[in-house]
Amino acid sequence: MHTQFFGNFLLNKGVITPEQLIDILKIQSTAHKKLGTLAIHAGYMSASEVEDVFITQTHYDKLFGELAVELGYLTEDQVTELLALQLPNYMLLGQILIDQNIINHTDLENLITEYQSVYEIYDLELIEEQKHMVDKLLADFYLPEDLPHAEYILSYLTLLFNDLVRFIGEDFSTLNIMALPEVPTNFCIYQEVEGSFSFISALDMERETAITFASRYIKEELNEFDEYVTASMEDFLNLHNGLYSVNMSNDHSMELHLQPPMEQEGDLLSTGCPSYLLPIIFSFGTVNFIFSVEKIEE
Amino acid sequence: MENVKILICDDSILARKQLKDAIKKCGYDNFLEASNGQEAIDTYKEHKPELVFVDIVMPIKDGVEAIHEIREFDPTAHVIVVSSVGTQTQLKNAIMEGARDFIQKPFSISAINDIIRARFEGR
Repeated sequence: MHTQFFGNFLLNKGVITPEQLIDILKIQSTAHKKLGTLAIHAGYMSASEVEDVFITQTHYDKLFGELAVELGYLTEDQVTELLALQLPNYMLLGQILIDQNIINHTDLENLITEYQSVYEIYDLELIEEQKHMVDKLLADFYLPEDLPHAEYILSYLTLLFNDLVRFIGEDFSTLNIMALPEVPTNFCIYQEVEGSFSFISALDMERETAITFASRYIKEELNEFDEYVTASMEDFLNLHNGLYSVNMSNDHSMELHLQPPMEQEGDLLSTGCPSYLLPIIFSFGTVNFIFSVEKIEE
Repeated sequence: MENVKILICDDSILARKQLKDAIKKCGYDNFLEASNGQEAIDTYKEHKPELVFVDIVMPIKDGVEAIHEIREFDPTAHVIVVSSVGTQTQLKNAIMEGARDFIQKPFSISAINDIIRARFEGR
């Protein structure tokens, strides 16, 4: 998870340009090993068990290691061992920056010290700490001060980052959130969620970007922009909002209802309520995430 | 294999394809398709398929309304709900309307296999 924030940190400090960040994300997308891959490599899990955990992750908002233990595929000791094998993502990003001669080792050491002290990161191996840190980073980093009911939106964005990592890939970084009255779109999928907390959320990207996004999501190579690409984007948004409504039901006893996803292209997305635009830069293109709060009942 | 008709009702072409692919692996490939609740009702009335898979969240008429009208037309209709995560309340309503069983997306082949076998075994 940390590259996404470390990348933003480096961008904001002017250490790297957006173009350099995209190049680094491309390298990182092939360099990073996931816990499932490591577990297969260590002989602790079979491919079908890893697949089973991935499917279960689409029903429950939980970490890979957490579910693997619950399903009896790994022991907690094995998870700890595998996590130790994983280079923390921001270290990996730092390593790539050095390999590319963008910074040297001393620069990296200084940047990491500053990054850690700003965000109070002490023990990255601890899952709870990670959750904590994501919350803190989101709270300090992205949210405009006038955002209503920030805690609901914070948990929504935390889940969004987790779902992007789980279902699309880790090779992304974010820019800061912008508040806009209406948002110009490329190809846009949006979904209305109704209840005592009503909102519209949308995914917007260029058609080329959508093809890769969809291919990654359904784990199948799609070569042209067609109805399967559209359906995959809809499915991702629907799954993400569905998981969020489960979390809201469990954590706040709040029942939310999902409307069917809709699409629009090359027009302004105008919801009549303030919209928040979060650009997410993947190595294959920019995915704009739009969130618009319609109503919150106390 | 008997040439039984299976109606797949989902507004997502991707979800319909995934479900058809899974059912084909169980040896059945005579499909009817619908992309909203009203189409599902109309297709059911015209073809009387032996098995129906219905998504819950759909435009025009949702899955719960579709199940209600299909069961009103034919109380013996064998309907399976295909639910997405986060639709528990509607799922409960769908079961109360007479759905026989449900699967949750994304589904495993074995879940589809169980449903197909339960429906057609011993016919």
